[in-house]
Amino acid sequence: MRRLTVAASFVLLAMLAVAVAESSLAALIFLFSATLKLSLSIELGEHYLQLFLPNAPYRPEVVVYNAGTIASLVFTVVGGLAAAIWKFRRWRPQ
Amino acid sequence: MKSLLRLYPRSWRERYGREMEVLVDELPARTGVAFDLLLGAAMAYATVIRGNRILSAAGAYLHGVCVGILLQAIAFVLLVLYSQRSPGGTDTDVTLGPFHLAAVQWPVYLGPRSLSQAALMRWPPLEWLPQLGLLAVLVAALVVVLAAPRLLRKTQ
Repeated sequence: MRRLTVAASFVLLAMLAVAVAESSLAALIFLFSATLKLSLSIELGEHYLQLFLPNAPYRPEVVVYNAGTIASLVFTVVGGLAAAIWKFRRWRPQ
Repeated sequence: MKSLLRLYPRSWRERYGREMEVLVDELPARTGVAFDLLLGAAMAYATVIRGNRILSAAGAYLHGVCVGILLQAIAFVLLVLYSQRSPGGTDTDVTLGPFHLAAVQWPVYLGPRSLSQAALMRWPPLEWLPQLGLLAVLVAALVVVLAAPRLLRKTQ
């Protein structure tokens, strides 16, 4: 039972870390879009997160589709897991 | 100042806590000392984490997530830069097989241009400066994040 709790805690913490990281990435991208005067649309299922700059005409619009959002999530999780597995296998007591 | 010692890991406090309390009592209460204690706490936690296989892997997971996020931010800036490869910009679509991941769409302007609009749509390399600046900052951040574990190990 204790092992199960520990495993569940680790999974929840890993998910929380990815959620915080993805939110940070979204914030970074919104900041970059505002700095570079771009319009930005991020597709999230049937919803869109949009940033439009009405005072900056003739600027490009960057669109991140659903597949891009999912790919970003997968890339982040795989990056973290790869690093964790690499460390776990190469770990030596000091 | 003594309260900063509570930031150290429990195992460390049990072993060195009393000696450290005496030492901190003798030291003047300065910002530099407080900073040293905070840095010491970070180092002590790093040692505890490195000594445990699971915690070490969890730390590596967070590190990998950070690297992944920075790489994606760099990819975003590179995509914007790539779409600006010609005057007036080029529509760019990022696809992976049948999946459309992202796109940069440039507005089509057919009417006469005012001076300010023409200035916005011109294509001097100066237009790239903000993107290049962001890229430089992100690459520097990536280098720091990648080098951080090795630097921490060396400082001990």
